[in-house]
Amino acid sequence: MKCNDYRYAIAGEPSKSDDLDAHAAGCESCANFRDQMLALDLKIAQALDVAVPDLVLPDLPTLSNDNGNVVSLPQPGSRRPTVPVWIGLAASLVLVAFLGIRFVISDIEHRSLAAEIVAHLDHEPRAWRSSNVAVSEQSLASVVRDDVEQMADDIGLVTYARTCVINGHTIPHLVIQGEYGLITLLLLPDEFINRATPIEGLGIEGVILPVGNGSIAIIGERGERVTELENKLINSVKWKT
Amino acid sequence: MNGSTADLTRKRRFDRVVTVLHRDMYRYAAWLSRDVGIAEEVVQEALLRAWKSLDALREDGAAKPWLLTIVRRENARYFERKRLETVDIDNLTPAQSAMLAETENSELDDLREAIYKLDDDYREPLVLQVLMGHSTREIAELMGINPGAVLTRLHRARIKLKDTVDDANDEV
Repeated sequence: MKCNDYRYAIAGEPSKSDDLDAHAAGCESCANFRDQMLALDLKIAQALDVAVPDLVLPDLPTLSNDNGNVVSLPQPGSRRPTVPVWIGLAASLVLVAFLGIRFVISDIEHRSLAAEIVAHLDHEPRAWRSSNVAVSEQSLASVVRDDVEQMADDIGLVTYARTCVINGHTIPHLVIQGEYGLITLLLLPDEFINRATPIEGLGIEGVILPVGNGSIAIIGERGERVTELENKLINSVKWKT
Repeated sequence: MNGSTADLTRKRRFDRVVTVLHRDMYRYAAWLSRDVGIAEEVVQEALLRAWKSLDALREDGAAKPWLLTIVRRENARYFERKRLETVDIDNLTPAQSAMLAETENSELDDLREAIYKLDDDYREPLVLQVLMGHSTREIAELMGINPGAVLTRLHRARIKLKDTVDDANDEV
Protein backbone atom coordinates (compact mmCIF):
# COMPACT_ATOMS: atom_id res chain seq x y z
CA MET A 1 0.00 0.00 0.00
CA LYS A 2 1.29 3.45 -0.92
CA CYS A 3 1.51 6.13 1.75
CA ASN A 4 -0.97 8.31 -0.15
CA ASP A 5 -3.51 5.49 -0.29
CA TYR A 6 -3.07 4.84 3.42
CA ARG A 7 -3.54 8.51 4.24
CA TYR A 8 -6.62 8.72 2.02
CA ALA A 9 -8.15 5.79 3.90
CA ILE A 10 -7.18 7.03 7.36
CA ALA A 11 -8.34 10.62 6.76
CA GLY A 12 -11.64 9.16 5.53
CA GLU A 13 -12.08 7.05 8.64
CA PRO A 14 -9.37 7.51 11.32
CA SER A 15 -10.80 4.92 13.68
CA LYS A 16 -10.60 2.23 11.03
CA SER A 17 -7.77 -0.19 11.62
CA ASP A 18 -7.77 -3.83 10.38
CA ASP A 19 -5.56 -4.23 7.33
CA LEU A 20 -4.40 -0.62 7.47
CA ASP A 21 -2.45 -1.23 10.68
CA ALA A 22 0.17 -3.23 8.83
CA HIS A 23 1.19 -0.23 6.77
CA ALA A 24 1.39 2.13 9.76
CA ALA A 25 3.45 -0.42 11.68
CA GLY A 26 6.14 -0.17 9.05
CA CYS A 27 5.89 3.54 8.26
CA GLU A 28 6.61 6.01 11.01
CA SER A 29 5.45 9.00 8.98
CA CYS A 30 2.05 7.42 8.29
CA ALA A 31 1.74 6.28 11.90
CA ASN A 32 2.26 9.92 12.94
CA PHE A 33 -0.34 11.01 10.40
CA ARG A 34 -2.82 8.49 11.81
CA ASP A 35 -2.20 9.76 15.36
CA GLN A 36 -2.73 13.33 14.18
CA MET A 37 -6.02 12.35 12.54
CA LEU A 38 -7.23 10.56 15.68
CA ALA A 39 -6.32 13.59 17.80
CA LEU A 40 -8.03 15.88 15.30
CA ASP A 41 -11.18 13.76 15.48
CA LEU A 42 -11.40 14.22 19.23
CA LYS A 43 -11.25 17.99 18.72
CA ILE A 44 -13.79 17.85 15.89
CA ALA A 45 -16.18 15.92 18.13
CA GLN A 46 -15.81 18.61 20.81
CA ALA A 47 -16.27 21.40 18.29
CA LEU A 48 -19.42 19.82 16.86
CA ASP A 49 -21.03 19.37 20.25
CA VAL A 50 -23.37 22.38 20.32
CA ALA A 51 -25.80 23.06 23.16
CA VAL A 52 -29.16 21.38 22.61
CA PRO A 53 -32.39 23.00 23.86
CA ASP A 54 -34.92 20.95 25.79
CA LEU A 55 -37.28 18.82 23.77
CA VAL A 56 -40.55 20.62 23.06
CA LEU A 57 -43.00 18.53 21.10
CA PRO A 58 -45.19 20.26 18.52
CA ASP A 59 -48.99 19.82 18.69
CA LEU A 60 -49.43 16.27 17.52
CA PRO A 61 -52.66 15.66 15.61
CA THR A 62 -54.82 12.63 16.37
CA LEU A 63 -54.29 10.10 13.62
CA SER A 64 -56.65 7.23 14.51
CA ASN A 65 -58.86 7.83 11.46
CA ASP A 66 -56.33 9.60 9.35
CA ASN A 67 -54.37 7.08 7.36
CA GLY A 68 -53.71 9.59 4.62
CA ASN A 69 -51.03 11.22 6.68
CA VAL A 70 -48.80 8.17 6.85
CA VAL A 71 -45.72 8.87 4.84
CA SER A 72 -43.41 6.05 3.82
CA LEU A 73 -39.77 6.83 4.46
CA PRO A 74 -36.72 4.71 3.80
CA GLN A 75 -35.12 2.81 6.66
CA PRO A 76 -32.45 0.16 6.88
CA GLY A 77 -33.76 -3.31 6.28
CA SER A 78 -36.97 -2.20 4.65
CA ARG A 79 -35.42 -0.01 2.04
CA ARG A 80 -36.00 -1.04 -1.54
CA PRO A 81 -32.71 -1.99 -3.12
CA THR A 82 -31.37 1.08 -4.81
CA VAL A 83 -29.72 0.81 -8.17
CA PRO A 84 -25.97 1.37 -7.73
CA VAL A 85 -24.77 4.63 -9.18
CA TRP A 86 -22.52 2.91 -11.67
CA ILE A 87 -25.42 1.00 -13.21
CA GLY A 88 -27.25 4.27 -13.81
CA LEU A 89 -24.07 5.74 -15.16
CA ALA A 90 -23.48 2.74 -17.38
CA ALA A 91 -27.06 2.95 -18.67
CA SER A 92 -26.53 6.62 -19.40
CA LEU A 93 -23.35 5.77 -21.20
CA VAL A 94 -25.12 3.14 -23.30
CA LEU A 95 -27.51 5.85 -24.41
CA VAL A 96 -24.63 8.24 -24.96
CA ALA A 97 -22.88 5.57 -27.01
CA PHE A 98 -26.04 5.01 -29.06
CA LEU A 99 -26.29 8.71 -29.79
CA GLY A 100 -22.56 8.74 -30.41
CA ILE A 101 -22.87 5.97 -32.98
CA ARG A 102 -25.53 7.94 -34.85
CA PHE A 103 -23.19 10.92 -34.84
CA VAL A 104 -20.29 8.82 -36.05
CA ILE A 105 -22.30 7.31 -38.91
CA SER A 106 -23.43 10.72 -40.12
CA ASP A 107 -20.08 12.34 -39.76
CA ILE A 108 -17.50 9.59 -39.58
CA GLU A 109 -14.81 11.58 -41.27
CA HIS A 110 -14.91 14.26 -38.61
CA ARG A 111 -15.26 12.29 -35.43
CA SER A 112 -13.90 14.36 -32.61
CA LEU A 113 -11.61 13.19 -29.89
CA ALA A 114 -14.31 14.00 -27.34
CA ALA A 115 -16.83 11.75 -29.06
CA GLU A 116 -14.21 9.03 -29.33
CA ILE A 117 -13.65 9.26 -25.60
CA VAL A 118 -17.34 9.15 -24.75
CA ALA A 119 -17.80 6.14 -27.01
CA HIS A 120 -14.77 4.48 -25.45
CA LEU A 121 -16.09 4.82 -21.93
CA ASP A 122 -19.06 2.67 -22.84
CA HIS A 123 -16.72 -0.16 -23.78
CA GLU A 124 -15.15 -0.33 -20.33
CA PRO A 125 -18.05 -1.08 -17.97
CA ARG A 126 -15.62 -2.50 -15.40
CA ALA A 127 -14.10 0.96 -15.08
CA TRP A 128 -17.39 2.28 -13.70
CA ARG A 129 -17.52 -0.10 -10.78
CA SER A 130 -17.26 1.79 -7.55
CA SER A 131 -14.46 0.59 -5.30
CA ASN A 132 -12.57 1.76 -2.26
CA VAL A 133 -9.61 -0.44 -3.00
CA ALA A 134 -6.58 1.10 -4.66
CA VAL A 135 -4.89 -0.72 -7.50
CA SER A 136 -1.43 -1.92 -6.60
CA GLU A 137 1.56 0.31 -7.16
CA GLN A 138 2.92 -2.25 -9.63
CA SER A 139 -0.31 -2.29 -11.67
CA LEU A 140 -0.42 1.47 -11.84
CA ALA A 141 3.24 1.71 -12.80
CA SER A 142 2.86 -0.93 -15.50
CA VAL A 143 0.00 1.02 -17.08
CA VAL A 144 1.59 4.47 -17.09
CA ARG A 145 5.31 3.80 -17.37
CA ASP A 146 5.46 3.70 -21.21
CA ASP A 147 3.90 7.12 -21.60
CA VAL A 148 4.38 9.12 -18.44
CA GLU A 149 7.73 10.34 -17.18
CA GLN A 150 6.29 12.07 -14.14
CA MET A 151 2.88 12.55 -12.51
CA ALA A 152 1.71 13.74 -9.08
CA ASP A 153 1.16 10.78 -6.77
CA ASP A 154 -1.58 12.47 -4.73
CA ILE A 155 -4.27 12.67 -7.40
CA GLY A 156 -6.63 10.52 -5.33
CA LEU A 157 -7.43 6.88 -4.81
CA VAL A 158 -6.77 5.12 -8.12
CA THR A 159 -9.22 2.22 -8.25
CA TYR A 160 -8.78 1.19 -11.87
CA ALA A 161 -5.78 1.22 -14.20
CA ARG A 162 -5.72 -0.35 -17.64
CA THR A 163 -4.23 0.40 -21.04
CA CYS A 164 -6.80 1.19 -23.70
CA VAL A 165 -6.86 2.27 -27.31
CA ILE A 166 -8.05 5.75 -28.29
CA ASN A 167 -7.72 6.95 -31.87
CA GLY A 168 -5.38 4.06 -32.57
CA HIS A 169 -3.01 4.84 -29.70
CA THR A 170 -2.56 2.73 -26.59
CA ILE A 171 -3.08 5.00 -23.61
CA PRO A 172 -3.40 4.72 -19.80
CA HIS A 173 -7.01 4.71 -18.56
CA LEU A 174 -7.27 5.45 -14.83
CA VAL A 175 -10.25 5.86 -12.54
CA ILE A 176 -10.14 7.70 -9.24
CA GLN A 177 -12.78 8.32 -6.62
CA GLY A 178 -14.32 11.78 -6.69
CA GLU A 179 -16.76 13.54 -4.37
CA TYR A 180 -19.84 12.54 -6.34
CA GLY A 181 -18.75 9.42 -8.13
CA LEU A 182 -15.94 8.06 -10.21
CA ILE A 183 -13.61 10.25 -12.24
CA THR A 184 -12.05 8.87 -15.40
CA LEU A 185 -8.60 10.01 -16.46
CA LEU A 186 -7.35 9.25 -19.93
CA LEU A 187 -3.70 10.15 -20.44
CA LEU A 188 -3.29 11.02 -24.11
CA PRO A 189 0.38 11.66 -24.91
CA ASP A 190 -0.23 11.49 -28.67
CA GLU A 191 -3.27 13.78 -28.83
CA PHE A 192 -2.10 17.35 -29.16
CA ILE A 193 -4.82 19.99 -28.77
CA ASN A 194 -4.58 23.79 -28.73
CA ARG A 195 -7.12 24.54 -26.06
CA ALA A 196 -9.31 22.89 -23.45
CA THR A 197 -12.18 20.98 -25.06
CA PRO A 198 -15.36 20.16 -23.15
CA ILE A 199 -16.80 16.65 -23.10
CA GLU A 200 -20.54 16.27 -22.65
CA GLY A 201 -22.60 13.16 -22.09
CA LEU A 202 -25.76 12.15 -20.35
CA GLY A 203 -25.04 12.57 -16.65
CA ILE A 204 -21.35 13.08 -17.21
CA GLU A 205 -19.16 15.96 -18.19
CA GLY A 206 -15.49 16.58 -18.54
CA VAL A 207 -12.72 18.30 -20.34
CA ILE A 208 -9.71 17.48 -22.46
CA LEU A 209 -6.80 19.62 -21.31
CA PRO A 210 -3.69 20.34 -23.35
CA VAL A 211 -0.59 19.10 -21.51
CA GLY A 212 2.71 19.53 -23.34
CA ASN A 213 2.54 17.74 -26.67
CA GLY A 214 -0.36 15.63 -25.52
CA SER A 215 -3.53 16.01 -23.51
CA ILE A 216 -5.45 14.57 -20.58
CA ALA A 217 -9.18 13.84 -20.52
CA ILE A 218 -10.95 14.17 -17.15
CA ILE A 219 -14.55 12.97 -17.03
CA GLY A 220 -16.83 12.77 -14.00
CA GLU A 221 -20.45 13.01 -13.00
CA ARG A 222 -22.11 16.36 -13.49
CA GLY A 223 -21.19 18.73 -10.67
CA GLU A 224 -18.02 16.86 -9.75
CA ARG A 225 -15.26 19.15 -8.47
CA VAL A 226 -12.16 18.56 -10.57
CA THR A 227 -10.36 21.90 -10.55
CA GLU A 228 -7.81 20.79 -7.98
CA LEU A 229 -7.22 17.57 -9.89
CA GLU A 230 -6.83 19.48 -13.17
CA ASN A 231 -4.21 21.73 -11.64
CA LYS A 232 -2.30 18.83 -10.15
CA LEU A 233 -2.20 17.01 -13.47
CA ILE A 234 -1.36 20.03 -15.60
CA ASN A 235 1.47 20.96 -13.27
CA SER A 236 2.87 17.49 -12.76
CA VAL A 237 2.47 15.36 -15.88
CA LYS A 238 5.51 15.08 -18.12
CA TRP A 239 5.34 12.74 -21.09
CA LYS A 240 8.08 10.40 -22.17
CA THR A 241 9.32 11.61 -25.52
CA MET B 1 -57.87 -1.88 20.13
CA ASN B 2 -60.04 1.25 20.11
CA GLY B 3 -58.92 4.60 18.71
CA SER B 4 -57.90 6.24 21.97
CA THR B 5 -55.88 3.24 23.17
CA ALA B 6 -54.14 3.06 19.81
CA ASP B 7 -53.32 6.75 20.04
CA LEU B 8 -51.94 6.31 23.54
CA THR B 9 -49.75 3.38 22.50
CA ARG B 10 -48.56 5.32 19.51
CA LYS B 11 -47.80 8.39 21.61
CA ARG B 12 -45.81 6.34 24.12
CA ARG B 13 -43.76 4.81 21.34
CA PHE B 14 -43.18 8.22 19.78
CA ASP B 15 -42.09 9.74 23.09
CA ARG B 16 -39.72 6.86 23.70
CA VAL B 17 -38.07 7.26 20.29
CA VAL B 18 -37.76 11.03 20.14
CA THR B 19 -36.72 11.51 23.75
CA VAL B 20 -33.64 9.42 23.08
CA LEU B 21 -32.86 10.85 19.66
CA HIS B 22 -33.90 14.47 19.97
CA ARG B 23 -30.34 15.58 20.70
CA ASP B 24 -29.03 13.93 17.55
CA MET B 25 -31.86 15.42 15.49
CA TYR B 26 -31.13 18.90 16.74
CA ARG B 27 -27.35 18.73 16.38
CA TYR B 28 -27.65 17.32 12.87
CA ALA B 29 -30.13 20.06 11.92
CA ALA B 30 -27.91 22.72 13.49
CA TRP B 31 -24.86 21.68 11.48
CA LEU B 32 -26.86 21.22 8.29
CA SER B 33 -28.39 24.68 8.49
CA ARG B 34 -25.62 26.39 10.52
CA ASP B 35 -28.35 28.32 12.31
CA VAL B 36 -29.83 27.38 15.69
CA GLY B 37 -33.11 29.14 14.88
CA ILE B 38 -33.57 27.20 11.65
CA ALA B 39 -32.50 24.01 13.42
CA GLU B 40 -35.31 24.40 15.94
CA GLU B 41 -37.85 24.96 13.17
CA VAL B 42 -36.55 22.02 11.17
CA VAL B 43 -36.67 19.73 14.18
CA GLN B 44 -40.24 20.78 14.97
CA GLU B 45 -41.32 20.03 11.40
CA ALA B 46 -39.40 16.76 11.48
CA LEU B 47 -41.07 15.71 14.74
CA LEU B 48 -44.48 16.41 13.25
CA ARG B 49 -43.68 14.43 10.13
CA ALA B 50 -42.21 11.59 12.18
CA TRP B 51 -45.39 11.47 14.26
CA LYS B 52 -47.54 11.21 11.15
CA SER B 53 -45.24 8.58 9.64
CA LEU B 54 -44.52 6.57 12.75
CA ASP B 55 -46.18 3.45 11.33
CA ALA B 56 -43.52 3.41 8.61
CA LEU B 57 -40.88 2.78 11.29
CA ARG B 58 -40.99 -0.98 11.69
CA GLU B 59 -38.34 -1.33 14.38
CA ASP B 60 -37.41 1.21 17.00
CA GLY B 61 -33.80 0.11 16.55
CA ALA B 62 -33.83 1.72 13.12
CA ALA B 63 -35.20 5.00 14.47
CA LYS B 64 -31.97 6.99 14.31
CA PRO B 65 -31.30 6.84 10.54
CA TRP B 66 -35.05 7.16 9.97
CA LEU B 67 -35.31 10.35 12.00
CA LEU B 68 -32.12 11.81 10.54
CA THR B 69 -33.48 11.16 7.05
CA ILE B 70 -36.60 13.13 8.00
CA VAL B 71 -34.47 15.96 9.42
CA ARG B 72 -32.42 16.03 6.23
CA ARG B 73 -35.54 16.29 4.08
CA GLU B 74 -37.13 18.94 6.27
CA ASN B 75 -33.93 20.96 6.14
CA ALA B 76 -33.95 20.74 2.33
CA ARG B 77 -37.62 21.76 2.27
CA TYR B 78 -36.90 24.69 4.55
CA PHE B 79 -34.19 26.01 2.27
CA GLU B 80 -36.35 25.41 -0.80
CA ARG B 81 -39.12 27.45 0.78
CA LYS B 82 -36.97 30.28 2.03
CA ARG B 83 -34.42 30.40 -0.79
CA LEU B 84 -31.86 31.73 1.66
CA GLU B 85 -28.76 33.43 0.46
CA THR B 86 -25.31 32.00 1.07
CA VAL B 87 -24.10 32.50 4.63
CA ASP B 88 -21.60 35.34 4.90
CA ILE B 89 -19.26 34.44 7.75
CA ASP B 90 -18.50 38.12 8.47
CA ASN B 91 -22.14 39.12 8.65
CA LEU B 92 -23.94 36.46 10.65
CA THR B 93 -27.38 36.72 12.19
CA PRO B 94 -27.61 36.11 15.97
CA ALA B 95 -28.97 32.60 15.34
CA GLN B 96 -26.04 31.85 13.05
CA SER B 97 -23.39 33.31 15.33
CA ALA B 98 -24.84 31.28 18.22
CA MET B 99 -23.28 28.28 16.48
CA LEU B 100 -19.91 29.94 16.92
CA ALA B 101 -20.26 31.12 20.51
CA GLU B 102 -16.75 31.59 21.83
CA THR B 103 -15.42 29.49 24.65
CA GLU B 104 -12.26 29.66 26.73
CA ASN B 105 -10.60 27.32 24.29
CA SER B 106 -9.55 29.41 21.29
CA GLU B 107 -8.22 26.40 19.38
CA LEU B 108 -11.62 24.77 19.64
CA ASP B 109 -13.32 27.99 18.58
CA ASP B 110 -11.08 28.19 15.50
CA LEU B 111 -11.85 24.60 14.63
CA ARG B 112 -15.59 25.13 15.04
CA GLU B 113 -15.40 28.15 12.74
CA ALA B 114 -13.44 26.09 10.21
CA ILE B 115 -16.12 23.38 10.33
CA TYR B 116 -18.78 26.07 9.96
CA LYS B 117 -17.04 27.36 6.84
CA LEU B 118 -16.71 23.93 5.23
CA ASP B 119 -18.85 23.28 2.17
CA ASP B 120 -22.06 21.42 2.97
CA ASP B 121 -20.73 18.45 0.97
CA TYR B 122 -17.80 18.14 3.38
CA ARG B 123 -19.46 19.17 6.63
CA GLU B 124 -22.42 16.82 6.48
CA PRO B 125 -20.55 13.49 6.22
CA LEU B 126 -18.18 14.70 8.95
CA VAL B 127 -21.08 15.38 11.31
CA LEU B 128 -22.67 12.04 10.48
CA GLN B 129 -19.44 10.13 11.09
CA VAL B 130 -17.93 11.94 14.07
CA LEU B 131 -21.04 13.10 15.89
CA MET B 132 -23.62 10.49 14.90
CA GLY B 133 -21.28 7.51 14.68
CA HIS B 134 -22.58 6.48 11.26
CA SER B 135 -20.60 4.05 9.13
CA THR B 136 -19.43 5.01 5.67
CA ARG B 137 -22.18 2.83 4.16
CA GLU B 138 -24.89 4.48 6.30
CA ILE B 139 -23.65 7.95 5.34
CA ALA B 140 -23.64 6.95 1.69
CA GLU B 141 -27.25 5.74 1.92
CA LEU B 142 -28.41 8.83 3.73
CA MET B 143 -26.69 11.21 1.32
CA GLY B 144 -27.43 9.19 -1.81
CA ILE B 145 -23.81 8.89 -2.92
CA ASN B 146 -21.45 5.94 -3.10
CA PRO B 147 -19.19 4.98 -0.17
CA GLY B 148 -16.06 5.95 -2.08
CA ALA B 149 -17.41 9.45 -2.58
CA VAL B 150 -18.12 9.65 1.16
CA LEU B 151 -14.53 8.72 1.96
CA THR B 152 -13.20 11.25 -0.53
CA ARG B 153 -15.28 14.02 1.04
CA LEU B 154 -14.26 13.00 4.56
CA HIS B 155 -10.61 12.85 3.54
CA ARG B 156 -10.76 16.36 2.07
CA ALA B 157 -12.73 17.72 5.01
CA ARG B 158 -10.16 16.47 7.52
CA ILE B 159 -7.21 17.70 5.46
CA LYS B 160 -8.79 21.16 5.31
CA LEU B 161 -9.39 21.14 9.06
CA LYS B 162 -5.91 19.83 9.77
CA ASP B 163 -4.47 22.69 7.71
CA THR B 164 -6.51 25.15 9.77
CA VAL B 165 -5.27 23.67 13.04
CA ASP B 166 -1.68 23.58 11.78
CA ASP B 167 -1.87 27.21 10.62
CA ALA B 168 -3.25 28.27 13.98
CA ASN B 169 -0.45 26.41 15.78
CA ASP B 170 2.15 28.03 13.51
CA GLU B 171 0.82 31.47 14.39
CA VAL B 172 1.19 30.66 18.08
